[in-house]
Amino acid sequence: MAKGNILNRLFASGPLILLYYLSISEVDTNLEKLFEIFSLNLQIIIIYFWIIKRPNLMGPGHIFFAGLINDVVMGHPLGISSLSYLVVCFVGNYVRNKSVNTTIASDWFTFLIALLFANLLFFSLLNNFSDVAISYAKIGYNTFFTLFLFPVFWFLFQLYQVSFIGAQDA
Amino acid sequence: MSVSRDDFSIAFRSALLQRGATQKFSILSLIIVALVVFFLDVYGFTAVKTARSFINDIVYRVSYLASAPTRLFPGINQGIAGHFNLKKENEELRKVIERYKALDLNLEYISNENKNLKKVLDTENIQSVSNVVLAKVLVDRNSPFLKSIIINKGSKEGIIKGMPVTQNKYLVGRIVETNYLSSRVLLLNDLNSRIPVTFDEKSTQAILTGGGTRKPTLSYLPEDYLFVKDVTVFASGKDGIFSAGTPIGKTEENGEVKLFVDPNQLSFVTVNLIKPSKEIF
Repeated sequence: MAKGNILNRLFASGPLILLYYLSISEVDTNLEKLFEIFSLNLQIIIIYFWIIKRPNLMGPGHIFFAGLINDVVMGHPLGISSLSYLVVCFVGNYVRNKSVNTTIASDWFTFLIALLFANLLFFSLLNNFSDVAISYAKIGYNTFFTLFLFPVFWFLFQLYQVSFIGAQDA
Repeated sequence: MSVSRDDFSIAFRSALLQRGATQKFSILSLIIVALVVFFLDVYGFTAVKTARSFINDIVYRVSYLASAPTRLFPGINQGIAGHFNLKKENEELRKVIERYKALDLNLEYISNENKNLKKVLDTENIQSVSNVVLAKVLVDRNSPFLKSIIINKGSKEGIIKGMPVTQNKYLVGRIVETNYLSSRVLLLNDLNSRIPVTFDEKSTQAILTGGGTRKPTLSYLPEDYLFVKDVTVFASGKDGIFSAGTPIGKTEENGEVKLFVDPNQLSFVTVNLIKPSKEIF
């Protein structure tokens, strides 16, 4: 019984562990070595999916902290990733409050809004308050691939949720 | 109408302020904290800089440890290669090739110098590079927007912002951030990288501009300049940061430069402890 509880808690912590691991490790979701324009913001997909489906697994405090770590590793000004993640979290919370039942299509559409808000904030802050120059083409590619691949990860996370956490939505 | 507006404001407020059973902070409070941290960092308050430097050192070490599994597979491959005694032979051969390459490049540079007296005068300011620090790359995670690496040497070893970083005497980038035990190196292909360079028999001057892609490009060239393939590009040293004559890469027909050192394959680099005459970035 106790063993089962530990396993359940471990599986429930899976998304958070993945978020922290992606923020702190060398593992990145940019396959630029293979395909030069490909870059993906997997953290945003993770946050959005789990905030919509299981908000109790993805506390905003953890999201804030993961963003800070990501900024340190990436060399961005401190707090900027946290802000963009929290905006995604906010849109996810709002969508969850307003909707009874979600489908992949509705999630995909609302994810576009969350992604646009998050990226707009990220790049306008970076552009106006930091010396770091950024390529607008890269931003476009990053946004496109993140949005385009959302359904793939939606299915994967849905599968994980059904298999290891339980099918019931929030 | 008023009901839908109420609905909107309730959902909006709830999304911002609601705290669940396991959530200790509301999103609004965290957004405010993140904004405060961001502006404190951007406007460079000394206390924040010191704290950031301390956090950086810790996070980079943890990041290095956390990335250990990703290094496991290349390690296994190397082990197998070593088993067949190929690794040692390969390294020896590579060293010999690098030595010959370096000799060849030196020769090319010296002959260019001799053809242009002005260039010779410009390069008289070559500073001593006897003081070098060998550093290990801790993190080479690729951001889609910033091309940089973290090395395991910092201000403790005398590294300061602006110092040039090389590998096998080929230019890799420059230091843009120092902590006590680690530093960040801005690579040549980063969008923020601008290096004055010289190349070809006429000692043409240009700026090597990173574009966030694999190969940086040459800009600010003479009008109607026609690119010739495989001409070696050297740092001109005019910025007072990089040593004149440090080889960087070979030109391509479209004005891009193929770097001698692949920025994605760095494991050890050398920091030249040359105090730059000015800091850039």
